Amino acid sequence: MMRSTLVSLSLTLLLCGAAGQASAAEPTLDEIIARTNHAAYYQGKDGRARVKMTITDKQGRKRERELTILRRNSDEKKDADQQYYVYFHGPADVAKTVFMVHKKVSGDDDRWLYLPGLDLVKRIAAADKRTSFVGSDFVYEDVSGRGLTEDTHKLTKTTKSYYVLEHVPRSRDKVNFARYVMYVHLTTFLPTKVEYYNDKGEIIRVMTVDKVEKIQGYPTPVRTTMEDRASGSKTTIEYSNIEYDLKLPDDIFTERYLRRAPIKFIK
Amino acid sequence: MSDHLPPPNIGHTWIDWAMKRPRQVLWLMLGSTLVTVLVAVLPTLVPGGLGPLSKITIDVDPENMLERHEPARVYHDEAKQRFGLHDAVVVGLVNERHPAGAFNVKTLTNLHRLTEAAKNLPGVVTPDVLSLSTVDRMRNTGPGEVSFDWLMATPPRTETEAAAIRTAAERIPFLRGTLFAEDGKALVLYLPLTKKSFAHDVSSELQKLIATLDRGDDHIHIAGLPIAEETFGVEMFVQMAISAPLAMLVIFGLMWLFFRHIVVIFSPMIIAMVAVLATMGLLVATGHTIHIMSSMIPIFIMPIAVLDAVHIISDFFDRYDPKKDRKAQVGSVMKHLFTPMLFTSLTTAAGFGSLAMTPIPPVQVFGVFVAIGVMLAWVWTILFVPAYLILLSDERLAKFGMKARSGSDQEDRGYVWLDRMTHRRARLVLVVAALALGGAVFGMTRIKINDNPTRWFEADHPIRVADRELNAHFGGTYDAFLALTHEPAPYQAASYGAEVGKQLDGFRGAIRDELAALGKALGKDPAAAPAQLIEQQEQALRQTRTKATSPALRAAADAGLDVLGEAFEALESEAGNAASSDASNAASSDAGAFATALAARVHARSTAVDAAISDALAAVTAVTASGPASAEAFRAALTTKLGPSEDPARRPVATFLGTLEQSDEVWKQPELLAYLEGLQRHLGEQPAVGKSNSIADIVRTVHRDLVSGADADYRIPATATIVAQSLDQFLSSHRKDLLWHFVTPDYQRVAIWVQLRSGDNRDMEAVTKAAASYLAAHPAPVKLSHPEWFGLTYINVVWQDKMVSGMLNSFAGSFVMVLLMMVFLFRSVLWGILSMIPLTLTVAVVYGVIGLIGKDYDMPVAVLSSLSLGLAVDYAIHFIARARDLVRLHGSWDLARAEMFGEPARAIARNIIVIGVGFLPLLLAPLVPYQTVGILIAAILLLAGAASLALLPALIAVLQRVLFTGSPKKS
Repeated sequence: MMRSTLVSLSLTLLLCGAAGQASAAEPTLDEIIARTNHAAYYQGKDGRARVKMTITDKQGRKRERELTILRRNSDEKKDADQQYYVYFHGPADVAKTVFMVHKKVSGDDDRWLYLPGLDLVKRIAAADKRTSFVGSDFVYEDVSGRGLTEDTHKLTKTTKSYYVLEHVPRSRDKVNFARYVMYVHLTTFLPTKVEYYNDKGEIIRVMTVDKVEKIQGYPTPVRTTMEDRASGSKTTIEYSNIEYDLKLPDDIFTERYLRRAPIKFIK
Repeated sequence: MSDHLPPPNIGHTWIDWAMKRPRQVLWLMLGSTLVTVLVAVLPTLVPGGLGPLSKITIDVDPENMLERHEPARVYHDEAKQRFGLHDAVVVGLVNERHPAGAFNVKTLTNLHRLTEAAKNLPGVVTPDVLSLSTVDRMRNTGPGEVSFDWLMATPPRTETEAAAIRTAAERIPFLRGTLFAEDGKALVLYLPLTKKSFAHDVSSELQKLIATLDRGDDHIHIAGLPIAEETFGVEMFVQMAISAPLAMLVIFGLMWLFFRHIVVIFSPMIIAMVAVLATMGLLVATGHTIHIMSSMIPIFIMPIAVLDAVHIISDFFDRYDPKKDRKAQVGSVMKHLFTPMLFTSLTTAAGFGSLAMTPIPPVQVFGVFVAIGVMLAWVWTILFVPAYLILLSDERLAKFGMKARSGSDQEDRGYVWLDRMTHRRARLVLVVAALALGGAVFGMTRIKINDNPTRWFEADHPIRVADRELNAHFGGTYDAFLALTHEPAPYQAASYGAEVGKQLDGFRGAIRDELAALGKALGKDPAAAPAQLIEQQEQALRQTRTKATSPALRAAADAGLDVLGEAFEALESEAGNAASSDASNAASSDAGAFATALAARVHARSTAVDAAISDALAAVTAVTASGPASAEAFRAALTTKLGPSEDPARRPVATFLGTLEQSDEVWKQPELLAYLEGLQRHLGEQPAVGKSNSIADIVRTVHRDLVSGADADYRIPATATIVAQSLDQFLSSHRKDLLWHFVTPDYQRVAIWVQLRSGDNRDMEAVTKAAASYLAAHPAPVKLSHPEWFGLTYINVVWQDKMVSGMLNSFAGSFVMVLLMMVFLFRSVLWGILSMIPLTLTVAVVYGVIGLIGKDYDMPVAVLSSLSLGLAVDYAIHFIARARDLVRLHGSWDLARAEMFGEPARAIARNIIVIGVGFLPLLLAPLVPYQTVGILIAAILLLAGAASLALLPALIAVLQRVLFTGSPKKS
């Protein structure tokens, strides 16, 4: 049911012309969820960003990594499958590592890894999406999106600027949180803050969008932070070189491009 | 006994005043004690406390045996923080019955349930909980595929699933011997604690949880040093509640046996109570914590406090005549005993006070406050006992005293025999003593210094049982960590700049060679299709890159790959532009031209890179000249100077800068990981070491599973790059932070987690020695700073060493002090030395026996050595003081002897029994150190008493001519 709503919504959006344009009537919960999902993961037909990631541990020790993330939506009309290509610029000893994902709305994602040190391409099979994203405090799911059907959703309140959504996982075993609360901006539908709670009602992780810029008409977070309260570690992602709709060819997202990164796009 | 009084002194004035105003004395004593107790107790009882007054604080942490700023402790705390380590409670599930051992549905389900529940317990560091259900497994799931998932996300439903978990777990060396036993019969759950003091609460909560589990054949144990330490703290109060009143009761019973007069023997009991309450009150009021050591204060003060009063009552008992003036009789007894009592109290106080010389704060506090208690007891004995005896009515005293008692012939005959024996067979007594001393010295050479907080509990205590069972199955529940730290060469702008320039030049050379070789290779096969040509060369370069151990060679291969990649992209877009369906065919017609063009492109790139590196070298020279303050500043200045550039020719320079930044990340280097591996292997050969874990183990495991899953790939990879990329995969797991327990994010420091099967300090010491000798014999590939140990098991060794050397100092100190006091008291060096002989022999014999029977020289044994000195000299003081008095009176030892072995010997003997036996209730304590204290101190006192009564008369018999020269003849 969720999906059909999503499809019809996407179509509606397409007909309206732009994602940012709010409909006159107060959106329904399903609409809010769908538009949030769109704003967070699907803006543009494709996109590229240079990422500077700073991981700061409890003791203030910092580690930095630089990546380029390429994203392409499989379907131009609906928010469905996607491809991601993550290329490592640094630290020097992991440079040229590539992580590629074919995200599937139904079924397991396909993931690949290229390790230049071993000149090795590996398909990755993973039981869940809760593993760390390249050693940061973001988990894989934070970057590529959590399946909408995996949670039950509730609009707990609407403030002056935000829809406050509460999501409860359907399967508690697979995640380390009991629920999460999302503050979604009323007009951009960007989730600006997400709080993950444990069973004791304590916040264990918080994602915040620190800065948003309009790029090619798309409101885009350019700085986000994930704080792991349990471990005391924190990761800040700064995005630069952001570009949408650069017409990424779909063959970039294939195994043969793991070894030979598309130099043109990954700068 | 005669009424010949010693010359008057200040004490006599006090005694006379006390007898004149007995009620005032009584009120003074009770009042002052009450005030002290209130000051101590009220701040705790009144909610919110009482301003600056101290509350009662209890400290059960043996770490506090070391001062806060003690280097080992400071390092321990720093290192724990640096590696994110916490002291942990260890829960073990043992199943010996099930054919699959602990890897069965029920036991694994129990482990899972306990783990999940434990994560929510207050004080548990949830993200660091270690159990089979909280760790990842990485598997090679087929050619070209690797899988990441939880090892046991949910409990198994069938025995087949349970067996699969075992198979999977056995593939992960980190888990073997750490989270599951190699024999498969036991599983372990580690619960790191935010603070050690949570251990007891966590343990109680776990017990409740365990009670709700369907255990079947599972034995579930809770172990780990924090539990032992916290539990000890709790049980320590139980022992106080049992032993202290019991000691009181025993002393009371013995006194009743000797004096048969309840009212009179109340007075020593009152003094003991007052001394204990006032001392503990002072301890709390002065802001001191109640620690393992200070909890023993009452039990020490009680028997000592009654000592003097027992002497008085014993004397008074022997001579009391209801028909004579009581004040005169009491006064005479008091004045005779005043000086010996003062000195016995002073020596005892000095013995305890000498503990202040140890470098261990709780021992200092213990010594000082027992000394205070002893002196308080003395003051009230001098004032209160005479006052009390005066206040009693005649009727109450009617049945008191020797004259009212019939028959103690047996006891008296004993003293007579002792007198004869020590006189006639004086030399035999001395020979026996000498032999005993010889044996004792031999025994002392065999003393084993050792301690283990787990063994502070009796053998059947659950903590001991858990300790035995878990350590029989696992690599060990005692943790120690060895930290190895890279020490970079001291920074100097000129030398650093030179080094940077040299490396950069190396880059240039390698790139030049590599690109030249590539150009040549391109010309070899001019007929090849362009795409194929590129792919061939790319493959060759990737091979070079993979095998490259130097960053320069890697950068060289990258430079080649860059040109080829660009060429390939150009080729593809050309093909796209031509809208040809077969791009490679279209180009192949002109294959030779393509290869030539490509070779030219490579050559051009080589020239451009060369120029870029020349610019960079000039920048290095400029930065060197500006003399940056640190290597970081140097790199920052260089980066700024070079500026950003999209130019592909500048890419090798950027790579170089990145490499430079990582040049201190030594613990990614294969040689160093292999070094760790060797050290771990050596440590593993130590009998106490069951297992060790390090970054080397993680790297090998991840490498194996990334590459093939085959055992042959369980090895340290050939290059630091592969190490870094393997670790990156580990960091992409559910438990990324596990890595930071083993290495710091700058890869400059590592910690090896060493699991010991025994918490014995000797075993830990053997391991530290083994590590030191290995490190000395095998120099590391890079300069490492001094290796440092940390962890609770190691900290125990540190404070034990302090204790042993501290006690030796304290013993020597108190020996000299007591000797000087004796020389002063007797105004004679010879008598002073003589008075030290019985207790010296006693201490030697006791420690000799400890050495001979193989009992560990541990914390209580060490503490007893110096304090026993001050206590044991008392008998010699009383004996010698009275002997000299009597010789002065009767003219010679032969004439004085008979009287000496009457009342004075009896008083001494009774004292020996009261105080010696008074410590025995400690044997009922549930904790071993208290038992040790009880048995040792009883042994020391009884032996010292016996030595005084036998050895002193024998020595006097032999030496009397020397000893009594100048003594006045009978007046």
